[in-house]
Amino acid sequence: MQDIVNALVLGSIYVLISVGLTLVYGILKILHIAHAGIYTLGAFLGLMFYHLTGNFWLALFLSIILTGIAGIGVYRYFYKRVLEESRIVPLVISIGLFIVMQDLYRLIWSPYRQPFAVSFGIGDIRLKGIVITEHQVIILIVTFVSLLSMYFLMNHTKLGLAMRACAEDMAIAGTLGVDVEKTISVAFFLGSALAALAGILVGVYENNVYPTMGEVPSYKSFVVIVLGGFGSLYGAVLAGFILAFTETILVAWKGFVLPRDAIAFLVMITVLMIKPEGLFRRATR
Amino acid sequence: MLKVKNVSKRFGGLQALKGVSFEVREGEIHALIGPNGAGKTTMFNIINGFIKPTSGHVYFMGKRIDGLRPSRIALMGMGRTFQLVRVFPEMTVLENVLAGIGKRVYHSLRVFSEAVKNEKNVKKAMKLIELCGLSKHVDQEASVLPLGIQRNLEIARALATDAKFLLLDEPASGLNDQETKGLAELIRKVNKSGVTVLFIEHDMRFTMGLAHTITVLDHGEKIAQGKPEDVAKNERVIEAYLGKSMTT
Repeated sequence: MQDIVNALVLGSIYVLISVGLTLVYGILKILHIAHAGIYTLGAFLGLMFYHLTGNFWLALFLSIILTGIAGIGVYRYFYKRVLEESRIVPLVISIGLFIVMQDLYRLIWSPYRQPFAVSFGIGDIRLKGIVITEHQVIILIVTFVSLLSMYFLMNHTKLGLAMRACAEDMAIAGTLGVDVEKTISVAFFLGSALAALAGILVGVYENNVYPTMGEVPSYKSFVVIVLGGFGSLYGAVLAGFILAFTETILVAWKGFVLPRDAIAFLVMITVLMIKPEGLFRRATR
Repeated sequence: MLKVKNVSKRFGGLQALKGVSFEVREGEIHALIGPNGAGKTTMFNIINGFIKPTSGHVYFMGKRIDGLRPSRIALMGMGRTFQLVRVFPEMTVLENVLAGIGKRVYHSLRVFSEAVKNEKNVKKAMKLIELCGLSKHVDQEASVLPLGIQRNLEIARALATDAKFLLLDEPASGLNDQETKGLAELIRKVNKSGVTVLFIEHDMRFTMGLAHTITVLDHGEKIAQGKPEDVAKNERVIEAYLGKSMTT
C-alpha cells in the first residue's frame, strides 16, 4: 500500500513534466529537451522567491509566471527560426540549450545542492500503517488540480480547440483565423509553467535544488511521451503513472537488481519494439 | 472583391508566376484553370497568405493583403479548401466545423474563457453541417469519412469562418460523378447565399457548367479570361491544353 502512494506521487511528477513536453511535441513536433532546463529554472526561481518572500505559494506563483515567460522566450528566440528546417536542427538546438541553461544556473546559483525546506503545517497523514507525508499530499493535490484545469482548458475552451487544431494541422488552423503564433506561445507558457510546478514540488519533496536536477527528468519525460504515443495528452498522463507504478513495484521487489532509471528505459525499449507508435495511439495513422 | 495585380513568384530557378493580373467580382463564381504546373495553386497560396509574392500585389475588398499572415486574411473574410483534403483527422465533424467558428475570439482574450460548445456556436455549426449534407456524420471522426464527405466538411469548416470569399482548390478531384454533381449544387447554393467563389479545377465539364468567369494560366502567365464559352473557343487556351500540333 505504501508503494501505491509513493508511485502515485512519483507518477504525478512525471505527468506534470511530460504534459508540457507533449503540448510542445504535439504542436511543433520538436523534441524539446530543454524542457528539463525549464523545469530546473522553475525550481531555482521558486527557491529564490521563497527566500525573498517567505511565502511558499507566492513564490510558486511568481516562479510559474516567470518560467512560463521563459518558455515563450525559448520558442520565440530559438525554435521559431528553425521550424522550416529538418527536425534534427531544433533537436540539436534544444540539447545545446539545455546544457547552456545548466551552466548558466551553475554560474548564477552555484553548483551546490541547496535545501528547499518548506513546512505546510498540515502534518503527515497516517492510515493503518500507511504514511502520506504532507509534501506528498501537496503534490497529489496540486497535480490533480493542474490536470483537471488542463483537461477543462483543452476540451472546453476555444483555446483548447485552437491548440488541438494547431497540433493537427497548423497551416489549416491559420486559414480558419486561429492566431497560430499566439496559440503556440500559450502552449509554451502552459507547458513551462507546469514544468516549473514540477520542479518546485520535486525541490521541496527532496529538499534539494541543484543545476543538474533536470538531467534524469529529461530522459524520463521522454520515456513518458514515447510510451504515451507522441503528442497524446491522455497518453502522457496514463504513461506517466504506468511508468511510476512499474518502477516502484519492480524496485520494491527485492530480487530486482536494476536501478530505477534503467527500468524506465527497459520499459520504453520493450514497448517501442512491440508497438512503435506508443501505447496510446491507434496504429492506423 | 479580389484584385491580383502583376503578381510574380520565383522559387529558386523556377518562375512559377509571371506578372499575373486578374480580378474576381463580388458575387461571381470564378474558375482558375490551366495545365499542370501553370501556377494555380501557387496563386492560391499567395492569395490566402501562405506565401509572399516576389513582386506584385493582392487586394482584397480594397485592402492590400499580400504579406499578411493567413490568420489575418481569414479574419478579413477569406476561407479556403485544399487540393488534397485537409480536415482535422482526429476531430469529429462537429469539432472540425466548430474550429472554424469564432475567428475573432481566437484573436482576443476570450479565447481563454469562451466555451467551445456553447449553444450559439453549436447551432451555427449544425446549420452548416446540414447545408453541406453532413448531418449523418456529426459525431464521426473526420478521418474515417469518405473523400467526398471530407470535401464537404472542408467547405463547411471554411464557411464557419463567416467567409465572404471562398478559395476551392480542385474541389472535384477524386470525386465520382454523383459526388461531383452534388458538389456543384452545393457551390451554387453557397454562392447564392452571398459568397464569392474562386476555384481551381481540371474537370472541364464541371468548370464550364459552374463558372461565370474563367481565368486561364499557362506556364505562370495569364493567357485568357472571359466567359466559359469564349474561353473554350480561345486558340491560345486550346493550344495550351492540347499542344500546337493538335490544333493545326
